[in-house]
Amino acid sequence: MRILVIEDEPDLLGSLAKALREENYAVDTARDGEDGLFKAQSYDYDVIVLDVMLPHLDGWEVLHRLRETKKTPVLMLTARDAVRDRVRGLDTGADDYLTKPFDLDELLARIRVLIRRRADKAAPAIKIADVHIDTAARKVLLKREEVPLTAREYSLVEYLALHRGRVVSRTELYEHLFDEDDDTFSNLLDVHVSNVRKKLGQDFIATRRGHGYCIE
Amino acid sequence: MTPLFKSIRWRLQAWHGLMLLVVLMAFGVTAYYLVFDNRMRRVDQELQKRTFPIVGRLSGPQPGDRGRFRMGPPPDESRPPGERRDERPPPPPDGKADESPRSEGPRNDGPDFTRRADEPRPDGARVEVRRFEGFRPPFFENFPLSPDSPRMFEEAGYYVVVWTPEKAEMRRSTNAPAIVPLPPITPALTNGTAWTRQGFREYAQISRRGNVVLVGHDITPDLAELTRLAFGLTAAACGVLALGLAGGWWLSTRAIRPIEDISQTAVKIANGDLDQRINVTDADSELGQLARVLNNTFDRLKSAFARQVQFTADASHELRTPVSVILSQTQTTLKRERTPAEYQETIVSCQRAAQRMRQLVEALLILARQDSGDAAPRREPCELDRVVTDAVDLLRPLAVERNVSLQTDLKPTPFIGDAQLLGQVATNLISNAIYYNRPGGNVTVQLAPEADGAKLVVSDTGQGIAAEDLPHIFERFYRADKSRTAPDNHTGLGLAIVKGIVEAHAGKVTVTSEPGKGSVFTVILPASGVGTASSPVPDRCN
Repeated sequence: MRILVIEDEPDLLGSLAKALREENYAVDTARDGEDGLFKAQSYDYDVIVLDVMLPHLDGWEVLHRLRETKKTPVLMLTARDAVRDRVRGLDTGADDYLTKPFDLDELLARIRVLIRRRADKAAPAIKIADVHIDTAARKVLLKREEVPLTAREYSLVEYLALHRGRVVSRTELYEHLFDEDDDTFSNLLDVHVSNVRKKLGQDFIATRRGHGYCIE
Repeated sequence: MTPLFKSIRWRLQAWHGLMLLVVLMAFGVTAYYLVFDNRMRRVDQELQKRTFPIVGRLSGPQPGDRGRFRMGPPPDESRPPGERRDERPPPPPDGKADESPRSEGPRNDGPDFTRRADEPRPDGARVEVRRFEGFRPPFFENFPLSPDSPRMFEEAGYYVVVWTPEKAEMRRSTNAPAIVPLPPITPALTNGTAWTRQGFREYAQISRRGNVVLVGHDITPDLAELTRLAFGLTAAACGVLALGLAGGWWLSTRAIRPIEDISQTAVKIANGDLDQRINVTDADSELGQLARVLNNTFDRLKSAFARQVQFTADASHELRTPVSVILSQTQTTLKRERTPAEYQETIVSCQRAAQRMRQLVEALLILARQDSGDAAPRREPCELDRVVTDAVDLLRPLAVERNVSLQTDLKPTPFIGDAQLLGQVATNLISNAIYYNRPGGNVTVQLAPEADGAKLVVSDTGQGIAAEDLPHIFERFYRADKSRTAPDNHTGLGLAIVKGIVEAHAGKVTVTSEPGKGSVFTVILPASGVGTASSPVPDRCN
């Protein structure tokens, strides 16, 4: 899952990015509205965390312009908590609204909700044959036994599971599993897929040659 | 309708009713009295008309009559014989006239009212008990009156009673009531006086000789008529009162309605709907003026309220950001075991956030103190140039760090004011000039005594301020660029604080700016200012 955080307060941005990375998200950051809008329009993020008070281009404007082309889930993050502001945010096209100061756990939970909703999955748990994926705890169980997965492996499984039945291209996987700072060696993905197959079974991830990967 | 207004309405109605009642009563009583008086006057005139001749007759120099009309000595002794002959045509012979009519009895003698019924006759004969009822000797027989007297008296319903000067009843007409008390002999009686007694109007006058003549008339019908008039007046008054009350109710309803409108609007506003306004229908009336005044007040209340809300929102917004930094930093860090370097980084960023909060809280405290008016600036003699020099020295490292050259031209300026607050003014203006400058730019600080006070000028070569922002830069939390490109330690309150302090010293702060070239802030501090500054509260309606 790849998340864009647009926030001008450096300390806040740093800690948010750190926390999200530790939750195994691929995280891109932007410190002003223009940069944020450019990145938001360039990639298909799973979630955008958007501050309202931004230099150059404020959050409303970023959201407004983004909605002209993309329907990426946006979580507005702002110190303005008047009902008027919240209504305005939601009406402009925000998917969720969180006022500062917020609890990190709540922010993470809300991001998970947005990701699930985007994949049309209401329940936090996904069951595929013997494999049970708990997206809240970020754990994978095989026959009720927890399978140890690395962060990337888990993200791969979760992404494919959330888009179950659909062939996911390698590009899309790269876009959603790696952030802008990662080196995108093309064989890195193959290594992860191979590792997941070892742990959860060879048939768990099917390869569509020339198209991508898929969980049936 | 609120109970309060209801009660005003009821009180109005009560007062109105009371006044109406008093007026109607006064009118009714006056009308009744006038009619009564008029009636009585007419009756009295009639009575007087009838009393007068008798009194005149009894007062006149009529030696012949003296005895007859006097109580006391028997007529035959006191009266010379033949005295009444001149009255009686044809005159009887002297001797006969003297004796025979008396001895013959009252029939021939005419009524002799000077006698009591059981009084022995002077001639020794006892007289039968004479009741006046049915006794029909013509009262006016032998009485010194004109021939039409009966018609004037008994037939017209008037009765006469005459008393001797000794207060004994002398004569009375047949139609007189059984009891006619002798009126009290007062000086008023000399000219005649009238009164009402048990349905009779009586008029009495005392003659020169002392005879009391009382003429009375039964005024029961008049009184009955007057009573009817009184009832009529009362009924009319009740009707008028009812109409008046109804009219008053209608009037008070009309008068109260705008007040009710105002009240309802005020209630809505009190409930938080500050957009409500009183509908001014008649702007020139007293209530219309009141409504306009209230509407103006509501407008000002609303804008003051909006400013307050905005200020609170801004203040909380400014505080939220550092709080979120601290929360987010600590929560992220505490999620797992960290290296000492990571912990240190977290603590440093928390410290930054805390410093920012401290600055904000201090600025808010200054503003709150200015608002409350508690902290009137001290009035101490100080060297303003020293104060500004301290501020410049404090900020010199910052200027070096930002690569801004700081030039000063400070002339000795003694001043009476609050050195600490004025130092804050200099610090805020100079640090702004440094922060909003371009690298390699200049900041010039000039201070000089004026004819009446001091003048501080801080100019920079920075980005300048757009014309549309100029009127607002002294507002709290107003940011020219609408975003937080301002340095971390800028709260957005600095210029608002400057304005507050300068105005508390009765001074003035102005700004001129040319975008791209720089801004000039000028502070004028009048020497007489502190003494005359009545209110340290800054005007918040920038």
